[in-house]
Amino acid sequence: MNDKNIFNFCKQAGCCDTCSLRYLGLKSPTFYEDIKKSAQRYKDEKTEVLDSEKPPDDSNKETTDDCDSPPPAKKLKPNLCVVCLGILQEETWNDSFNMVKEVLERKKYTSNTFACALSSPIATILREKAMALRLEKEILDYYSNIVTPLKEAWKWSFGTKLAPVIDKKLDSGAVSPLLITFSYDYLDDLQELEILKKIAAPLFESRRQQHKRFATEFTRRVVEQALQNVTVDALKAASESCCMAPVDTAAKCVSVVCTHSPLYLGGRYIKLSRDLPQTPWILSGKRVMPSSVQEIIFQPIADLYGMSEAEAETRLKLIAAGREDVDVRCLGQGRPFAIEITDPQRQLTTEELEKACKLISSTGDVIVRTLVPIVKDDLALLKKGEETKTKTYEAICIKLTCSEFDQIDPNAPITVTDVDLKRINTYRNTPLSNKARIEISQATPIRVLHRRPLLTRIRHIIDVHATKVSAGTYVKEWVHGELGRTRPALAHILGARADLLALDVTAVNLAWPPY
Amino acid sequence: MEYNILQSINLEDLSHFKSFTDRYFSKRYVLNVNGIENNDIMLMFHSNRITLISLAPSHFFFKKTDQYKINFSIGNIDRLTNSVKGKGKKGGQMLTANSVICKIEYDDGTMFAIPCCMKGTLIEVNKELTKNPELLREQPDSNGFIAIMLSSIAISDSTKSELLNHEEYVKTFNS
Ligand SMILES: [Zn+2]
Repeated sequence: MNDKNIFNFCKQAGCCDTCSLRYLGLKSPTFYEDIKKSAQRYKDEKTEVLDSEKPPDDSNKETTDDCDSPPPAKKLKPNLCVVCLGILQEETWNDSFNMVKEVLERKKYTSNTFACALSSPIATILREKAMALRLEKEILDYYSNIVTPLKEAWKWSFGTKLAPVIDKKLDSGAVSPLLITFSYDYLDDLQELEILKKIAAPLFESRRQQHKRFATEFTRRVVEQALQNVTVDALKAASESCCMAPVDTAAKCVSVVCTHSPLYLGGRYIKLSRDLPQTPWILSGKRVMPSSVQEIIFQPIADLYGMSEAEAETRLKLIAAGREDVDVRCLGQGRPFAIEITDPQRQLTTEELEKACKLISSTGDVIVRTLVPIVKDDLALLKKGEETKTKTYEAICIKLTCSEFDQIDPNAPITVTDVDLKRINTYRNTPLSNKARIEISQATPIRVLHRRPLLTRIRHIIDVHATKVSAGTYVKEWVHGELGRTRPALAHILGARADLLALDVTAVNLAWPPY
Repeated sequence: MEYNILQSINLEDLSHFKSFTDRYFSKRYVLNVNGIENNDIMLMFHSNRITLISLAPSHFFFKKTDQYKINFSIGNIDRLTNSVKGKGKKGGQMLTANSVICKIEYDDGTMFAIPCCMKGTLIEVNKELTKNPELLREQPDSNGFIAIMLSSIAISDSTKSELLNHEEYVKTFNS
């Protein structure tokens, strides 16, 4: 096996330089960064003449000698590669470059690196396989598993040339937050794939019968599957050109999509209003409350990114460690939360984040003291905290009847007595060794019963004087007992009916943000 | 900064002192059910399709002071063993307007049945009533409620609009 032979066999079959290098199995990116130079090492004189600096319009094919390569392409057409459909040919890249520039001018990402990804026409899979099979047949000891994937060779060659055009450095998708995806369409894609139905008839027949499961006839996967055990003879029998017909119209870049990986901000919010839900409260399309904690926090962030209201709705996401009811305030250090920003153009500066906090707090209903950049992994802490954290509440409760424990006239005036306070502050239904003084069992509250299963949960109240309550306890229900569905409730401890007038969360005990 | 909870609400405002059911439910009444005078039922609708069943204050039950028990066995169905699974409340007993939710049995051997007055799924009965039947007499619109049921939005909404609301109910008894 001789590399020059392979390279020139590919060239004569109608491959571009880049594809020819791919069939050599060259894997190092540097080979693809300067195709001309790399190709030079393998070209023999005959092919060199062909590829010499002729204007593309002139570079028609004239090299059909002894080998069974396809007939020459029509005159006045660029020499389009029979494998990559022109995707790897530098002469075709200008349109794609212009498309990226247009998108980047609009979206103005500040990232100085980028990664690029390719969505190529499916016909390239068939053509690549056909060429590989021919090499295996013609060249002794050639194994097609060495072929460098199209998308890799494209990334290295196309990406390298794109970098100076957009003034960013090419990097891997694992490193750069900015991903640019190019989608190519090829006019004859479906028509060329048709022959697979002859080659792998049973596969396509069974898919046709299950058309509900397989809505698309040709997917990358099924094409690869159909080609798995195919032979060069089978391809030749099915297609005159052996599935490598000259390419009339190059595959065309139809879309360029730029996305920046999400950014995360962490903070804590204090909620001072008893008429403010955490998230927009909308009932059958109508707003119940004019605003929400979420909207107040999002406003300055959306403005900094120039997002419209509709855009902010899809690109900003609030992740909070639990929530309080509309009429419950959240005081103290506030409730931990994070914001996920989808496809941000840039990082926000410390000054901008400070200004955002000021704007949020200027509404008077919500206070956010700091917003700091965090990473995705930190979100786990928020979610975990939801289960393990303790919360401290302050409530105003009302005693509605005389205590049944006091042997007094039930019609006597109702007062809260020292005995009542002592009952509350010393009541314990758990062993002394237990950290929590009160264990309660609580049926799923009626207000959420329509959408949650009916369960009885055991919850702990660590202390009452300071009213520290373990996570997930529905405090309101604990005070009034919710028709007896939470017990023992404050009412049971008092021996009197009791109710709640106002509730504040005074601490959500979770170390947040993490830095 | 100090945000005193006592200053966060207006304690003079009596709306804060509404009972739990008055705060979150709207009450509806069905009078003289099955042609029986003062067989008056109260349904309390939560905004989320949950409905509580109890007796209206005008029910003849409240005039009688005899001792009683509450029996949740109806024919061969035991309402106390009702159980619902998951968010969809699968397995709950199906109730129609005529279904008897429970029976009040007096020590003298007399009894009467309480119909549920609406189609829906039984979510839970107030088991506390079997231990402490007096609750029904003392707090019919609170801890003495009889059962919780869940209906479709359509049935919940239409029943709610058809039945007497609290104002109409009060007017009926004051005229
Ligand atoms: Zn090519």
